[in-house]
Amino acid sequence: MREMLLAFIGSLCAGILFNVKSKNLIWTGLSGALGWVSYILMNRATGGVIVATFIGAVAVGLFSESAARIVKSPATVFSIPGIFPLVPGIGAYTTVQYIFENRLSDAARTAVETIASAAAIAFGIMIVYAVFRILTRPGEKSKKRY
Amino acid sequence: MNTSELMEVALKAGEILLCSGAEIYRVEDTISRICKNYGVDCESFVLPTGIFISTGGGKCESVSLIKRIRERSVDLHRIERINEFSRGLQKKTMSYEEAMKTLEDIQNTRQYNFITRLVAAGITAFVFTMLFKGNVKEASAALLISTLIYLINEKISGIGLFRIFELFVSGVIIGALSLLTVRIIPDLSIYKIIIGSVMILVPGVTITNGMRDALHGDINSSMLRLGEAVFVAAAVGGGVGFMLSIGLLWV
Repeated sequence: MREMLLAFIGSLCAGILFNVKSKNLIWTGLSGALGWVSYILMNRATGGVIVATFIGAVAVGLFSESAARIVKSPATVFSIPGIFPLVPGIGAYTTVQYIFENRLSDAARTAVETIASAAAIAFGIMIVYAVFRILTRPGEKSKKRY
Repeated sequence: MNTSELMEVALKAGEILLCSGAEIYRVEDTISRICKNYGVDCESFVLPTGIFISTGGGKCESVSLIKRIRERSVDLHRIERINEFSRGLQKKTMSYEEAMKTLEDIQNTRQYNFITRLVAAGITAFVFTMLFKGNVKEASAALLISTLIYLINEKISGIGLFRIFELFVSGVIIGALSLLTVRIIPDLSIYKIIIGSVMILVPGVTITNGMRDALHGDINSSMLRLGEAVFVAAAVGGGVGFMLSIGLLWV
């Protein structure tokens, strides 16, 4: 519960830094909280970081695509601040720090983990995007208008 | 609106999108959608560092435009407004002046004032130190450092130095201030303070966007973004690491 609140505030602030308009801020916060909770639950259940990150990203993706349809904004507006608690920025930083401390095998481990979690997030978001695109395929009529 | 004016509008829209951190496919999609609304077929090639668009052949006049993109940040509000703009065109086409005016207006939106962003940067650091299992004291230290870093970054970018250097300097300052903090209050963990403080600088979103571009098939852009992320991480981490390797001897 405490972590959920923290993730909520964290994503909301990320939303402010990424200039999301104030009407949508509450949704970005919820998106982040949901993603983080899914991540934590999955992480506790399996002990794996990558799979948990993937599940977190899928949760964020589902939430963002749904929210996008409710408030009529692009899904990116909710997914970018929403994945903010999950993205491996700290991993990238830690890798460089290990290199500086001459702990090269630790550095290699965190580097791979960083790349893998970024890929997991991207893949999670994309899968949801693809599924929503298939389900809500625009009809022939709107296609012809382009 | 004639073809070259239309291309200018499309290029401007693409430029705003790319500068606001949109994915490559969205930029290309928007450009071709704007052109199609006016019945012009156009081909665009977008990289994170530049946009190339070209139209021609057949009966229409041939126009090519190139725009170099130097600075990229994330601004989701602008992406949203450009999206609305291109959808609006689908319903009702605008004149050149009208379209350019709308785009200028979108480019100049700055929604939150500096103080709000400053506070948000501070709270971000606080929250992430807590999420990474730091205690309230460490989180407060991170909050102060992060606020200061955001302020300094804003001031330095006004001078117009290259960005990697700014990040390096920010890293050095974070390292120095964290060292100072643990010297004053010895029972704090320096790593937790640093983790919270660097949160607003590290390239997490860039790495993830790079991966998303790759999944969309924009391999060029994905490699560029991942490369950018490596340099950003190296600059920030290098700054902090440099300071720590000197400072830990002194502490």
